[in-house]
Amino acid sequence: MDDLILLKQASVASEDSTDLFENDVLVENGVIKAVSSSLNASDGTRVIDAKGKVLLPGLFDVHVHVREPGQTSKETIRTGSEAAINGGVTGIVAMPNTVPAIDNGGMVRSVLEIAGRDSRVEFFTTGCITKDRKGKEMAAIGGMKEAGVVMITDDGSPVENPQLLRRAMEYAREFDLPLASHCETMHLSGAGAMNEGKRSYKLGVPGIPSISEEVCIARDIQIAAYTGAHLHLQHVTTARGMELIRRAKNDGVKITCEVAPHHLIFNENDIVNYDTYFKMNPPLRTEEDNEKLLEGLIEGVFDVIATDHAPHTEFEKKQQDFETAPFGITGLETALPSLYHHYIKEGKFGWDLLVKRYAAEPRRILNLDQVSVKEGSRAELVLFDPQATTTFSQEFMKSKSPNTPFLDKELQGSVDLVVNGEEVLLDRSDGAA
Amino acid sequence: MSEPHKDLLQIEDLNKDEIESILAAAQPFKELFKRSVKKVPTLQGKTVLSLFYEPSTRTSSSFEVAANRLSADFTSLAVASSSVVKGETVLDTVDTLGAMRADYIVIRHKKAGIPNLVAEHTDASVINAGDGFHAHPTQALLDASTLYDVFGKLDFSGKKILIVGDILHSRVARSTSRIMTMLGAEVRVLGPGTLVPPGRPDKMKKFKNYEEAMDWKPDVVYLLRVQFERQGEQFFPSSGEYHSVYGLNEERFNKIKDEGVWVMHPGPVNRGVELADSVTTYDRCLINRQVENGIATRMAVLYWLKPQTFQQDG
Repeated sequence: MDDLILLKQASVASEDSTDLFENDVLVENGVIKAVSSSLNASDGTRVIDAKGKVLLPGLFDVHVHVREPGQTSKETIRTGSEAAINGGVTGIVAMPNTVPAIDNGGMVRSVLEIAGRDSRVEFFTTGCITKDRKGKEMAAIGGMKEAGVVMITDDGSPVENPQLLRRAMEYAREFDLPLASHCETMHLSGAGAMNEGKRSYKLGVPGIPSISEEVCIARDIQIAAYTGAHLHLQHVTTARGMELIRRAKNDGVKITCEVAPHHLIFNENDIVNYDTYFKMNPPLRTEEDNEKLLEGLIEGVFDVIATDHAPHTEFEKKQQDFETAPFGITGLETALPSLYHHYIKEGKFGWDLLVKRYAAEPRRILNLDQVSVKEGSRAELVLFDPQATTTFSQEFMKSKSPNTPFLDKELQGSVDLVVNGEEVLLDRSDGAA
Repeated sequence: MSEPHKDLLQIEDLNKDEIESILAAAQPFKELFKRSVKKVPTLQGKTVLSLFYEPSTRTSSSFEVAANRLSADFTSLAVASSSVVKGETVLDTVDTLGAMRADYIVIRHKKAGIPNLVAEHTDASVINAGDGFHAHPTQALLDASTLYDVFGKLDFSGKKILIVGDILHSRVARSTSRIMTMLGAEVRVLGPGTLVPPGRPDKMKKFKNYEEAMDWKPDVVYLLRVQFERQGEQFFPSSGEYHSVYGLNEERFNKIKDEGVWVMHPGPVNRGVELADSVTTYDRCLINRQVENGIATRMAVLYWLKPQTFQQDG
């Protein structure tokens, strides 16, 4: 590792400005030493020509399934962290629906120990709200907090019993732990495998109606308002659900929420020939929802972008029919290029939004230290080349699983360089000056 | 243009010419059945394997008779009771069938899209004999073939078809309405609010009750089977109430008789639920004709499809 790195003429992005500012950025011993219009390299400095490339703080994803322990044929903490690096993500928050589930302090410690050894990005874990995510008894929330969880969630399932959810919120509130909800009403979802509507009718696939999600969002908002706990709503997919959140936020309820890139980019009509790489829960909704969610993101209803990176083996996804195959797609490697390709390049939103929603706010809602491309900040940096393209072939991707709708697709933009503190995690820049 | 396909998975894959080719091919087979020898050598040496993951009597035996009358070898695997329960996937089973050199695989499954998945993994022609709520293309073809007999032509323009019952869970409704619309007919629906989903095609207008539907003067009333076995939840209060509100009871039947409306049903019939007993003896009740045409139509489908396995003959 070079102790000194100088990025020349980088277009620096921040959450505060829609404009990019061209600057030289000097990194010394893992810290940003200087940001200035013209810096000279001293001896032994590695100089990288960053002209025309965007330099942004390392991205942070609050919703990632790394599948370890228990489902390591899908992903491990090591491969998950490598996938993150490949997509310019330098911090991830793992979901607790592992096997066994992360529902006590001991499990938290053992996962963090594996991560300490295997993760090359900042790694945080959540813990369950209820024991084994069964929705019957509260998990050891205090013990998990002490062991280091940053949030509690039964992700993958809702806490169906509203009284238990209320008690969990009241209890978690005192530990300053956000409670994250996977909003779904199981009686309404039934055996559904995709959004209920014209497309599900045509394909003959049982539908998951939008009300399944919206009814649960409404319920959880009311309980959050009543208890005063911090409620984080995961992967919101419907315009009506989003409007409920907007109203509650205006009323001062302590809520944060996330939107996933795939729910912005794709809709039910993209499900062609029962392609399971378009199957996830909550499902792809309608074209109108795509538009409304994008508006909501721009207007600030969504606090964060999060991928719900959900790896599954090729066998599970491609050797089974659409209804039987598990829900979930990967996202860590494709999030930044896909958001650039579809929105930033098209002028729908700027780099400031991306930095704010996928780097700054995710750390803020979890009360973690901020990083930015400013003097004195810890160096967590991503250099992105908007002129290059990336093809998401199986060889390119570092995740163990290939289940992404972008498989073998080409997107504009390329993650060229990823720096985390004193380590250069990824270097595809050929621009050595 | 009509090019033979490898598979028959859903009506959507066929254009109007192709539908007409298949239906035209079925006509000589109908004539054949009037002879004492009902068999032709067309598919001699070819193998038809049927995989029914859902119980069925009439569809599976209809395919069996069709294959036999074309002189193909027919074998059915009782998958519902064998290896499936041991954890073998559908594709594992299909691999096994590949090793058995099947030329045609006839498949029925409770999950939508299974035939599509299978078709991608085999050179054999895959014929969808019903997948979940999705499609039942040979039923649609035999229904069209039956109305071809009745109307005397393949252009159904100006004809009105009323489908009654459980649209939500019905692959028959999806496939049959599609083919009828393609051939020019207008299709509308009547059924409990719980079973007529808003996601259906916009042109399939919904009636509120029988009176309103009969005022539309349909040429055909197509009754769907009430699929009690598909319903894990309650969609209407009781079969008695279904019969009184949506069933073809004696009173409604009398009106239908007076107006000479054709009656169809994909079978098997729940007597006293979808229709009153006396309907089956009505001279414009086409239920038996549908069964008979099922064999001829399935022969036409086997005859029309082109398995990739044939290419190995060089």
